[in-house]
Amino acid sequence: MKNIRFHVNGKESNVQCPPAKTLLDVLREDLELIGSKECCGKGECGSCSVMIGDEVICSCLVLAGQIENETIITVEGVGLRENMDIVQEAFINEGATQCGYCTPGIIVAAKSFLNSIEHVPTTDEVKTALGGNLCRCTGYQKIIKAVQTAAKIQNPFYAVK
Amino acid sequence: MKVSEMEMISPTSVHECLHALTDQQKSSRLIAGGTDAVVRMKDRNWMPDIWINIKGLKELRYIREDASGLHIGPLTTHTDIVKSELLQSKADVLTFAAKEVGATQMQNMGTLGGNLGTASPAGDTIPALYVLDAHIQLSSLHQIRSVPIKDFFIGPGKTVIKPDEMISDIVIRPQEKNEIGIFEKLGPRKAQSISIVNFTASLKIKAQTRQCIGGKLAFGSVAPTIIRAKKCESMLLLDPLDEHMIQNIAKVAWKEVAPISDIRASANYRKDMASALLERGLYRLMKRWENK
Ligand SMILES: Cc1cc2nc3c(=O)[nH]c(=O)nc-3n(C[C@H](O)[C@H](O)[C@H](O)COP(=O)(O)OP(=O)(O)OC[C@H]3O[C@@H](n4cnc5c(N)ncnc54)[C@H](O)[C@@H]3O)c2cc1C
Ligand code: FES
Ligand code: FES
Repeated sequence: MKNIRFHVNGKESNVQCPPAKTLLDVLREDLELIGSKECCGKGECGSCSVMIGDEVICSCLVLAGQIENETIITVEGVGLRENMDIVQEAFINEGATQCGYCTPGIIVAAKSFLNSIEHVPTTDEVKTALGGNLCRCTGYQKIIKAVQTAAKIQNPFYAVK
Repeated sequence: MKVSEMEMISPTSVHECLHALTDQQKSSRLIAGGTDAVVRMKDRNWMPDIWINIKGLKELRYIREDASGLHIGPLTTHTDIVKSELLQSKADVLTFAAKEVGATQMQNMGTLGGNLGTASPAGDTIPALYVLDAHIQLSSLHQIRSVPIKDFFIGPGKTVIKPDEMISDIVIRPQEKNEIGIFEKLGPRKAQSISIVNFTASLKIKAQTRQCIGGKLAFGSVAPTIIRAKKCESMLLLDPLDEHMIQNIAKVAWKEVAPISDIRASANYRKDMASALLERGLYRLMKRWENK
């Protein structure tokens, strides 16, 4: 057991757990942040995506002992029903979610991507940015559209490439 | 050993880390980005008593140049490599290769030291390190040694790193002004894209011509470790690299590689693809050269 201190969604967290427990399990079991989902458990599907700092990573492959003092943002930190983020609104408006299993991971990956650019991304750019996130329902078209829509709303003056 | 009983230490300096590596009482293994380590832990293949977490060792995350070459810290992530303007201009092949390591999440997490440490014959950055004559610096508490990349791997998953050593620096030569590189890869979907075959080239070309005056070619995933295609390399110098010449070199590549069959592809398919990747790669490289 190890005492691990880090920040999640703006709050300081203190967790007592085995250091080789995955960050995903810590978020879901110790902190009851159940937005992030496990699917493959091997870095291939992206459903467990969260941000460490401003970069998106797979929380199923990070060990709890490695996140001491880190700043983590999960889908709950991007926005909840009462304070939804523009990315989440765009996903609803464009119909970019069906069963919803992949959605939290995709929202986090999309948010991190949009934070890093200053234009409306091309389809190819979105595909590259979200290449690590699998969706078995939507066929991706609406997801790509939603990310572009969110970029336009984020800044109406953004150039369309 | 149960996962729940594993310990972890997070050294705050390289010195402290090397100290931890000399303690042979319990089994230990370094963990950096964890993209190989945690997958293998979950498969119950890598079950050390203690994980030595080096992810936070900022002193090993850098990209810089001095008189002895370009230095890349082992904790440099693939994303760091892709974004580095220094590497884009003086080690283009390495940035192209890092761009093809998995998808965004894996590039943000995975490190160059980890790619070397895993020593997979399919490791995508490794052929680039071959054509850039990399030297791997290995440190222990008692000595620092520098191993040329061609002597670093002993077989799939095996390197010359001793139990008390770690990779502390990766040194490559900067490309020359007339030198240009390419990386080509065949794999399944990007997020899980462990190479079936990959091909890397870095060629020096005489200004305003298509005449190659020196070049290195390397293949991944077609042998137990990365191989340089020496026969193909010697052909590069014979004639200007026009379509006909490139096709001839591709034919020689088919004979020169000696892959195995495994669950991802048969040996013959790999030979065909090695040849095809070389052909496509050299076409693209020459196209870029002409537009430069
Ligand atoms: C979904 C997925 C997709 C992937 N796709 C690709 C791909 O397309 N191409 C590719 O090449 N790889 C791929 N990989 C493999 C992996 O991401 C890379 O090999 C990565 O570079 C490993 O770096 P890491 O920091 O995560 O290593 P870790 O998992 O932390 O460590 C790997 C090994 O290296 C050792 N090690 C780490 N740092 C050092 C050091 N400084 N000194 C000595 N030993 C050290 C560790 O002890 C361990 O044995 C993929 C992995 C996953 C999960
Ligand atoms: S559950 Fe983490 S990537 Fe699939
Ligand atoms: S909405 Fe079902 S997996 Fe994406």
